Amino acid sequence: MTDATNPKGETLSRREMLEVTAAAIAAPLLKQGPAAVQPALQTGPKFFTGPEFALLDELSDLIIPTDAHSPGARAAGVAAYLDFRLADSLDTEQQTKWRSGLAAVDALSKELNGQAFLQGSADQRVAVLTRIAAGEQDPKTPAEHFFQELKRSTVRAYYTSKVGIHADQQYKGNVYQRGEFAGFDAK
Amino acid sequence: MTLVRVAPLAQDVDLSKTYDAVVVGSGAAGGMAAHVLTTRGLKVLMLEAGKKLPIEQELRSMQWPYDHPRRGDAPPGYHALSFNEYTIRTPPYAKNSTFKHVMSYVGGWGGSDYVKNILVDEKDHPYTGTTYAWVRARALGGKTNIWGRLALRLSDYDFKAKTHDGYGEDWPISYADLEPYYDKVDLYLGISGHKENLPHLPDSLFQRPTKLNLAEVQLRESLKKMGRVLTPYRAGVTTDGLKHNRYRSKCYGRGACGRRPGGCDIHAAFDSPTGLIYPAMDTGNLTVRPNSIAHEILVDPNTGRARGVAFLDSETRKSYEAKARVVIVAASTLESARLLLLSRSRQHPNGLGNSSGHVGHNFCEHVMGPGVTGLVKDLVGKPPTLDDGRPGGFYIPRFRNLKDRQPGFVRGYGFEGGGGFSIFPGHAFGAKGFGAQFKKDVRDHAGAFIRMGGFGEVLARYENYVDLDPDAKDAWGIPTLRFHYQFGDNERRMCEDMVVAGREMFEAAGIEVVGADDKMLTEGWSIHELGTARMGNDPKTSVLNQFQQSHDVKNLFVVDGSSHVSASCQNPTWTIMALAWRSCEYLASEFKKGNV
Repeated sequence: MTDATNPKGETLSRREMLEVTAAAIAAPLLKQGPAAVQPALQTGPKFFTGPEFALLDELSDLIIPTDAHSPGARAAGVAAYLDFRLADSLDTEQQTKWRSGLAAVDALSKELNGQAFLQGSADQRVAVLTRIAAGEQDPKTPAEHFFQELKRSTVRAYYTSKVGIHADQQYKGNVYQRGEFAGFDAK
Repeated sequence: MTLVRVAPLAQDVDLSKTYDAVVVGSGAAGGMAAHVLTTRGLKVLMLEAGKKLPIEQELRSMQWPYDHPRRGDAPPGYHALSFNEYTIRTPPYAKNSTFKHVMSYVGGWGGSDYVKNILVDEKDHPYTGTTYAWVRARALGGKTNIWGRLALRLSDYDFKAKTHDGYGEDWPISYADLEPYYDKVDLYLGISGHKENLPHLPDSLFQRPTKLNLAEVQLRESLKKMGRVLTPYRAGVTTDGLKHNRYRSKCYGRGACGRRPGGCDIHAAFDSPTGLIYPAMDTGNLTVRPNSIAHEILVDPNTGRARGVAFLDSETRKSYEAKARVVIVAASTLESARLLLLSRSRQHPNGLGNSSGHVGHNFCEHVMGPGVTGLVKDLVGKPPTLDDGRPGGFYIPRFRNLKDRQPGFVRGYGFEGGGGFSIFPGHAFGAKGFGAQFKKDVRDHAGAFIRMGGFGEVLARYENYVDLDPDAKDAWGIPTLRFHYQFGDNERRMCEDMVVAGREMFEAAGIEVVGADDKMLTEGWSIHELGTARMGNDPKTSVLNQFQQSHDVKNLFVVDGSSHVSASCQNPTWTIMALAWRSCEYLASEFKKGNV
């Protein structure tokens, strides 16, 4: 088990291990764990162009940034995961939406700031994102529709990542408990 | 990967011999029939339409999302039907789909890769007629591989419901008839829960209960003042272990049990293969043949009695016949009705056991969808706690139409719910904005929500039914079911009340209601279909007697949910098994006397 799977560092005694018959099933899966993790982007994006990927990476990290508590979407590899899923997808409509969505963000940035999103200052980038996030509840423009999809996908990718589950949420479950359930008895 | 070596399943079973009984289906009902009959010495052949899957490898209950390349999603080309697709379109839902594989909505819960081989491919298994989300699992064990595990008893408020409120029919049995068999099921399979001494939700012989978290305790205490009960989820899960079963582990409170669809790969949660079928195979009296699609119950042309089952091999498409002295149908409520209707002969022109014309009718289930989400303000910003690893959170038993009489509807509903931290903060989808504040909001609120949704009784009505489509066929050329089934006004008014009552209970407990959903999900969504071959004392208005024995054909038994006379609002699995135990005990005793 990695530290992450057992944050308290508790280990089961051999005797308990034998009792926990289930461990026999679970162990092989745990061992193969890290190998199955989405590898960090080594060969460049598979679906997005380089500039598109850089834009997505920045947008995701603006939605879920690094703060004092935990790393953000960039550190969690959100853009790489989304790139992998879109490259793998058979849904061409979905693929087109992402391309045109990113283009719409750049177009809006040019309209507001006179330059592409990544060329803008930090404040200018936030201003663009604030503008398209304003329509979150009732999106109308293509950029506003794209923000919905972008945020939903970023949320899903981040909170299913190692960083999201362990560093940010500090999720305590998916571990063997020592004979007692956590919580309170019904009285 | 399995703990205990399981006897190989005999694909090449001996079909020249006549078995004492052939059981069609391997879910809760078929598994129980096999258990009861084999332990009484009968030689049983079980036919399962689906595969024997390496189930632990399918379920991977403890796999972290990030250890899966698609975070649990099925490969490209798989698609799970959505609420909109079910409601905008009409069945067959997979017709003309551009996806290679289409699953029922259960595949869309965020773990479709874990169930893609358990659920049927809708492309191969079409049906027609009215809107219905028909969830089917063709695999050894059927839907017990992925069931929700809420294990409840019925009471005489259900068995004698007509006496109580005048609607429908009473069951031909009372609680006293079934109580000893509920006890047997509890002890043989294990059930977790907390005693409440309620007449309308009798206690089981419980193993150790799971625990409640803070928000749930707060709601329980508040409900006491209203005369209502919140009890820890009564789960068909062994929390103390079962000395007599070497295939199952006790529950260690591990796993993200809230990950649905999800089975339990240590089999602490009941499933039919490890709970019933493998132990039955150990008796030496059970032969199991997977990949066997039963399409007709064969009858003796002279006596009209059942003589066996005709089936197709799902892989080779070859036809076979299995011979037996008794035929036991346990293919699930709708598939069982389909099989009876498919079994037409000179003596039984309307289908086997259908002289009453009631096969396929009185189809009922549970209606669900309405529910409330609440925010417990005191829990905002609190450090994370372990609230997962439980088969479920809580259950609030029915409180309507017990002593009171509601003006808008008869019968009742219960709530299933839970609160606290889970592996995925679903509320993040609804949190507004972006950036550091958004991230903090998600974190601070992760353990502060509590949710519950109602499950209500759908009235059994003759006019709600299935029959065979005269034209449509499945991938094996077998006629499909056609649905004629819709919720009525009683269900609609009950659903309106669920939201009102849910809100009232949360508010009384000081829980801020942040979401109230009054949308009814489509017919079929609860996966609790019942009633298509109901029991009764009158052969003119029922299909089976109180022992689930056909009125027309004495050596034919239908032991699954199709036998239920009314749906109750309590989840059916435990009742299905208690009834099957009772009926098969009766059958074994009659068999030995030479009476069937």
